[in-house]
Amino acid sequence: MTASGTFGYGTEYSHMFDIQRLGAIVCKGTTLEPRDGNPQPRLAETACGLLNSIGLQNIGVNALIKEKAPIWASWHVPVIVNIAGETIDDYAQLAGKLDGVAGISAIEVNIGCPNIKAGGAEFGADPKSAAEVTAAVKTATSLPVLVKLTPNTSHIAKIAIAVAEAGADAISLINTMKGMVIDITRRRPLLGNITGGLSGPAIKPVALYMVYEVAGAVGLPVIGCGGIVTASDAIEFIMAGASAIQVGTASFTNPRSPLDVLQGIEQFMQQEGIDNLTDLIGAARH
Amino acid sequence: MKQVSASIISNSEVMPGVYLIWLESPQVASEAKPGQFVMVRCGEGSEHLLRRPFSIHRLDNNKLALLFTVVGKGTHWLAQCRAGNNMDLLGPLGNGYSIQPDWHNLLFLAGGIGIAPLCFLAEKALNQGCSVRLLLGASTATQLYPRHLLPAEAELIITTEDGTAGREGLITDFLPDFVGWADQIFACGPTLMYHTMAAQSQQLLKVKSVQISLEVRMGCGLGVCYGCTVKTKNGLKQVCKDGPIFDLDDFTGEELAYNY
Ligand SMILES: Cc1cc2nc3c(=O)[nH]c(=O)nc-3n(C[C@H](O)[C@H](O)[C@H](O)COP(=O)(O)OP(=O)(O)OC[C@H]3O[C@@H](n4cnc5c(N)ncnc54)[C@H](O)[C@@H]3O)c2cc1C
Ligand SMILES: Cc1cc2nc3c(=O)[nH]c(=O)nc-3n(C[C@H](O)[C@H](O)[C@H](O)COP(=O)(O)O)c2cc1C
Ligand code: FES
Repeated sequence: MTASGTFGYGTEYSHMFDIQRLGAIVCKGTTLEPRDGNPQPRLAETACGLLNSIGLQNIGVNALIKEKAPIWASWHVPVIVNIAGETIDDYAQLAGKLDGVAGISAIEVNIGCPNIKAGGAEFGADPKSAAEVTAAVKTATSLPVLVKLTPNTSHIAKIAIAVAEAGADAISLINTMKGMVIDITRRRPLLGNITGGLSGPAIKPVALYMVYEVAGAVGLPVIGCGGIVTASDAIEFIMAGASAIQVGTASFTNPRSPLDVLQGIEQFMQQEGIDNLTDLIGAARH
Repeated sequence: MKQVSASIISNSEVMPGVYLIWLESPQVASEAKPGQFVMVRCGEGSEHLLRRPFSIHRLDNNKLALLFTVVGKGTHWLAQCRAGNNMDLLGPLGNGYSIQPDWHNLLFLAGGIGIAPLCFLAEKALNQGCSVRLLLGASTATQLYPRHLLPAEAELIITTEDGTAGREGLITDFLPDFVGWADQIFACGPTLMYHTMAAQSQQLLKVKSVQISLEVRMGCGLGVCYGCTVKTKNGLKQVCKDGPIFDLDDFTGEELAYNY
């Protein structure tokens, strides 16, 4: 799959390679109303990583349903809509609006957003609010619900268990890790928003460990994400217990990355004489 | 727009710290318009995750040139590339400058490395029979883009900040002298230069159109990541897709005072 926020609405890449061969496309995080996002600068390259503070700039759910979903409806590749909210009610309303829309195959719930009512702490940092969001979304839609966990918590397995008990159909992880960069000549943070989310190979070991933890804690399918660039990165996540993976930042370096990773996994399976990917899932767990 | 592996024909230092690189890429060259850019992969592996944006400097049949200043890791890597090496390009990207068909007197403002996209545009304008005056500014004489690489038919006005060549000062100091002549102005330089131009806009407004090329940090170059979004009078714009060429008039002075 492609990771949310790094592959637009899929349409931007459809003329560059055969995106229909991918497992799924996860679109840009979508909110109830269009959002402007954060002040510039929004991007900073770090050692083997990317720090972003886009601030969820997006077209809003109504435009998505009107302009993007009809295009997706003609594709074979399933499209998963990533949603973000500031209150539990936002999430429920978003899920309700997406329910039954042709071209949308599932919902991915980004719970790494600040909960306005709880003083801005991330929903995904607290098992109780993570479960509440999950339950609200599940009630509002009949679509499969993936819940995307944030790594900015000290108890990822507890969050995963809470989300699973609240009815999630799958768990994806990880979102970006909070970080910052300082511009030493100007003596101030480089990003306009001061902090941002770190992605790319720099976070891969953390992501892999969290996938390993979560896959051991819940019985749900786990989708691994974080710093995957090559097929061998992806296979590490699968062996840690992921049933599927997402490629994010690597698409900026090379737009074909998601397909290259997929083909690399197929090649590895051939070399190793494996017919079914399930034989690799969790292969490194004992 | 294509992703191509272009072979490097030559890479030479044309001024201290500034390199001119010629590449063979029929796919990109055949589509390119002045003011458009390419996203260049700098280095291999995961060291530089983001491609770097560079304006298309000029064209010659199947070949295109980039002109860049070494400012950081990516451009340092580019400076080391040799003829025969391949370069991974995405492009051409962005909207490009547009010359109005019936406007004849074109004034160009190139601040420092801002000459990069303007060479290509000047060549096109001259081919169309326009008159081109180029205000070329640099900090000092050694940083002036070499005369012999500029289109010979363009009338050149040189300025340096330290007065070591041409007129002493910033190009914007001399802009009022030429505004009256111009039908259209095309500029490329630091945002501060546009800020000064916006403040001069009483005089500039007499000109029919002023187009500028905006420099912002980019992630994808394709309109996907929203890393390059800027505020304009007409709402939010993605520099990689809606730009990088904008009307000076699209921005308030405050928006151009912003340090991207
Ligand atoms: C549309 C466009 C056209 C450009 N055309 C040219 C050109 O023709 N010639 C030229 O010399 N430069 C040009 N630039 C600026 C050029 O992209 C930067 O100088 C270059 O990215 C610096 O990379 P670095 O790795 O050496 O610097 P580093 O500071 O190591 O880069 C770190 C990160 O910041 C970004 N970054 C740093 N400075 C800039 C900047 N000024 N603008 C945008 N991103 C930046 C880099 O792309 C990279 O992602 C252009 C920029 C844009 C947006
Ligand atoms: C520019 C950018 C925008 C992103 N936007 C979103 C988003 O809208 N919603 C979301 O759930 N995750 C978003 N992410 C996080 C990615 O989907 C992914 O979880 C993270 O980048 C780690 O994967 P990677 O290292 O492969 O990029 C974004 C990441 C980047 C780099
Ligand atoms: S650079 Fe990604 S949207 Fe413009």
